[in-house]
Amino acid sequence: MGSLKEIRNRITTVKSTRKITSAMSRIASAQLVKAQNAATSARPYGDRLEEVVRDLLNAIDADAALSPLLASKSEIKTVGLVVLTADRGLCGGFNANVNRATKKFVRDQEALGVKVEIVACGKKSHSYLRHEDIAVASKHPSPDLKTIVDVAKSVCTEVAAMFTESKDTGLPHVDSFFMIYNHFKNVLVQEVTTLPLLPFQPAEGEVSSLPPVFEPDPASLLDHLLPVALQSRVQQAMFNSVASEIASRRMAMDSATDNASELIGDLTLEYNRERQAAITKELMEIIGGAEALK
Amino acid sequence: MAASNIALEILTPHGSALPLREGEKAKKRRVSVDVPGVDAPGLKGELGVLPDHVPFITPVIPGVVRFRDGAVDRRVAVGTGFLEVTADGRVVILTERALDSAEVDVAAATSELKDVSAELSKEFGSIDAVEHRKLSDQQAWLEAQLRAAQA
Repeated sequence: MGSLKEIRNRITTVKSTRKITSAMSRIASAQLVKAQNAATSARPYGDRLEEVVRDLLNAIDADAALSPLLASKSEIKTVGLVVLTADRGLCGGFNANVNRATKKFVRDQEALGVKVEIVACGKKSHSYLRHEDIAVASKHPSPDLKTIVDVAKSVCTEVAAMFTESKDTGLPHVDSFFMIYNHFKNVLVQEVTTLPLLPFQPAEGEVSSLPPVFEPDPASLLDHLLPVALQSRVQQAMFNSVASEIASRRMAMDSATDNASELIGDLTLEYNRERQAAITKELMEIIGGAEALK
Repeated sequence: MAASNIALEILTPHGSALPLREGEKAKKRRVSVDVPGVDAPGLKGELGVLPDHVPFITPVIPGVVRFRDGAVDRRVAVGTGFLEVTADGRVVILTERALDSAEVDVAAATSELKDVSAELSKEFGSIDAVEHRKLSDQQAWLEAQLRAAQA
């Protein structure tokens, strides 16, 4: 048992930690609504774009190798991977889960003799991959709600360049692309998802019965459309990732606050018990002293 | 009978991007507006869409979308995207970004355009192809903003 002063100090420490965690949790709650709204308002755009791609691909003969972004390579020697984490920690398993999935992905591919080139978003993935000695081809900051469009754009430009060209870019060439991120299922559940990005696969769904007229012609339209569709997919993933980060931060901070409160309760109990013991001891000494004088 | 108006929607990843009416809150932006016609920057040049257009899809390049909103002429800068006339006669512009002429920050856009253009004019000297593409995208977008803001 520590002395009274020690326990008092510990209580003060835990109390100030609780102040921080509960403030973080409250901030995250406020941000969460915003992030969820942003993700919801992004959905109509993404959905509509997917429908257009589907209609367009349906109107074109599938076997023709039209766009380089659609072409699947016969032999896969290098796989690209986009990793989405946060810049900051203290959000539960959010970063760790993605990093673990990334490590597993890299080790699995290496076992098959395939090289992995990584495009990493977020400082937490940069430092983890450096620690694990996994090479990173290019680094980006973690997107927030305001910068999603710009980050997605520069990531996509790189991804498309790595997939289609091998020279003049200074970037390694890859044969297929995947993305690992946290999918926002709901406030309580976020799922680490591995999404194939390239070669581009149209989403499942109904094709419009009445195909519209394509102007100028489907092939050149496709060249214009696919980069936009790719970007939209990356953006959707980023919106999900941002919402997940905030949701898991809120959850982590909530439980940290609860734990701190519990700890304070325990410590206070111990403190009082200790104080009582000290008083009893002093009383005993006084009584003992008085007895001895008799 | 020909319809006299056509419903226009401008969709971006941040939701609807139609110009705000007076007193309208940014959070509750309207999703659709009835217009007599729309002018948009198509891949093959400026194109106009009037009511009762046949359903079609065409690419949109960075530029200015113009339409008449009640008594007001609106100009919206848009980025790369698509213009779609749906079977039920709506015009949907899907674009990566869009900004109403009233919301363009002319000073900031001008100075950024200057920086970007200077960087671009170096022409592959110190920058690679990917960087070049990023910059020229940004340049096109800034020019579109300025064109929307002028005149």
